[in-house]
Amino acid sequence: MRFFEKYASLIPVLLIYAILFAIGISFPGMWQPVAFIMFYITLGQAFNIFLGLTGYVDFGYVAFLALGAYGMAIAVDNLGGANLGYGIILIGLLLAILMASILSVAVGAVALRLRGAYFAIATIGVNEGFRYFVEGARLWGGSEGIIISGDMRNIFGRETANFISTFVSDILVFIIAILAAIVTILIMNRRMGYALMAVREDEDAAKVMGINVTKYKVMAFITSASFAGLIGASAWTLKMTYVFPSDVFLITYTVEAIVIVMLGGAGTLMGPIVGGLIYGILKYYLSITLPGFQLLVLAPLLIVIVVAFPDGVVGALRRRLTGNVKKYLR
Amino acid sequence: MPFFEQLAGNLVYGAILGSVYGLSTMGLSLIFGVLRIVNVGHGPFIMLGAFTAFWMFTLFGIAPVVSISVALVLGLALGFVIFFAVIRRLINAPELSTLLATFAIGIFLEEIAKFMWGPDHRGYSWDIGDIDIGITLIPYSKILAFISSIIIAYLLYMWFQKTKLGAAIRAVVEDSGGAAACGINVGRIYALSFAIGIGLTVASGVLVTLFVPVGINPYMGHEYTLKAFVIAVLGGLASPWGAFYAGFIFGLIENGSYTLLGLIPGVEPFSLTRFVAFSLLLVILLIKPTGLLGGENK
Repeated sequence: MRFFEKYASLIPVLLIYAILFAIGISFPGMWQPVAFIMFYITLGQAFNIFLGLTGYVDFGYVAFLALGAYGMAIAVDNLGGANLGYGIILIGLLLAILMASILSVAVGAVALRLRGAYFAIATIGVNEGFRYFVEGARLWGGSEGIIISGDMRNIFGRETANFISTFVSDILVFIIAILAAIVTILIMNRRMGYALMAVREDEDAAKVMGINVTKYKVMAFITSASFAGLIGASAWTLKMTYVFPSDVFLITYTVEAIVIVMLGGAGTLMGPIVGGLIYGILKYYLSITLPGFQLLVLAPLLIVIVVAFPDGVVGALRRRLTGNVKKYLR
Repeated sequence: MPFFEQLAGNLVYGAILGSVYGLSTMGLSLIFGVLRIVNVGHGPFIMLGAFTAFWMFTLFGIAPVVSISVALVLGLALGFVIFFAVIRRLINAPELSTLLATFAIGIFLEEIAKFMWGPDHRGYSWDIGDIDIGITLIPYSKILAFISSIIIAYLLYMWFQKTKLGAAIRAVVEDSGGAAACGINVGRIYALSFAIGIGLTVASGVLVTLFVPVGINPYMGHEYTLKAFVIAVLGGLASPWGAFYAGFIFGLIENGSYTLLGLIPGVEPFSLTRFVAFSLLLVILLIKPTGLLGGENK
């Protein structure tokens, strides 16, 4: 029974995924919007593991997404002739995790010594610095990037390559979303979750109480970055079949992730999903009705959330709920 | 030696550009020093200044040096509006909130600019001749920008040192609780400092246009936000005067390293120069987060 109570909150999450998946495959033309929304839900979940659980703002988060995208592109580009079939996607995903987590260890070791504003500034520096290094030193094709559509056709044939970019990449995002939800709840239920909650409330007090603050912060950072790498590899490279530094290092994705997490409720399991749903649907329809001016609507929305509802939708809901229902919503 | 001549010319140019960098960062440092808020949406205010200069020049033929005062007034007004609408409610909120709010304000300004003036790159040229300093030609307009930055920074310094309000702001920077106990209306000082910070930033945007011939567009501020962070950290983050001096240093480093990196074959010196800037930022944050030029500690 204890076990059920601890993990009951996963049920509504998985239910929402199942409903979204069902809508996507049953109605013609709905797969694309569902995948679009799912991308934002997953992005929010990945970012929530760091921003939500620790309370640190990482403005350079998109760098991990970018490295994941490069990881997949490098794998496909270099191993295209090795006749690995679908194995190449697996290698690409592993390389994506590896590259994102290496960068996160490096950044974490440096930047996580800093607090608040200093940390935020340092992470912007890392993202921009890395981007200009890729362009300036002509690493990985420099500003021309890597284009893998040709490689994909050579490896899989035209038909399958098309299938991978329009369907398999989205399925991968669904899988990442499920994994991210499980990892989030695992962290929240363990010592690490409580330690991070203490960090969020008062880092100095947590330190004095003997909590190894740095260890848990770095762990959350690496976990979050690895998920970002996976998202970059599948939702960017496999879907778009190209990687340009000016696109993948775009700070907009960081902002979107922040909006989603804050909208839904930072540090909650359900928050990024609610945030991603609202944001994804809003953005999808705004891009049809008001093309090019989505941010004009979203920026004031973020200001209003920050000023009026700092706990987000889920945070506000949880305060009203009592008893039995509450354990399903975390 | 053509190389050394080129280097010397670029360094002179770096110092001139550095004065504008310094001025454009003072607002960021002032706001952080007084309110302990990092204005992550700093650059878009520079963009507003740039558009002010552009429209004043193209519509009314008013010289950018004169537009500075217009931009300053606009910036002050905007600063007060933003403070009372948003920032005032976030003074005691966690850092996360102010970072996000200022970020969103920046994006909002950019989008409004894009909505009103379109996404195109614009520019104007204010040609009033050049001066030959032996190694290179320098336009008078840039020299005027250099002089204007120094005058504005000096006036602000005198205002801080000699007036009662300036002293009150300095007191709040030292210890806001103590200042309140001495009868200083801290809330009003916050509002005033925020407005002055934004005013300075918008005014510096006017001078920036003299260095970017066709670079005026809604998203031009982004680059200056990032540069301002490097400069502010270099100058101690909380000290406007530190930021002003750091602007010079940054200008020299930027132009010097551009010249040197140009010697390495097979790289893009322009991008690598920025990489150098951000590496510098990280190194300083790690070694001496209070800034190279002293600054106060946090």
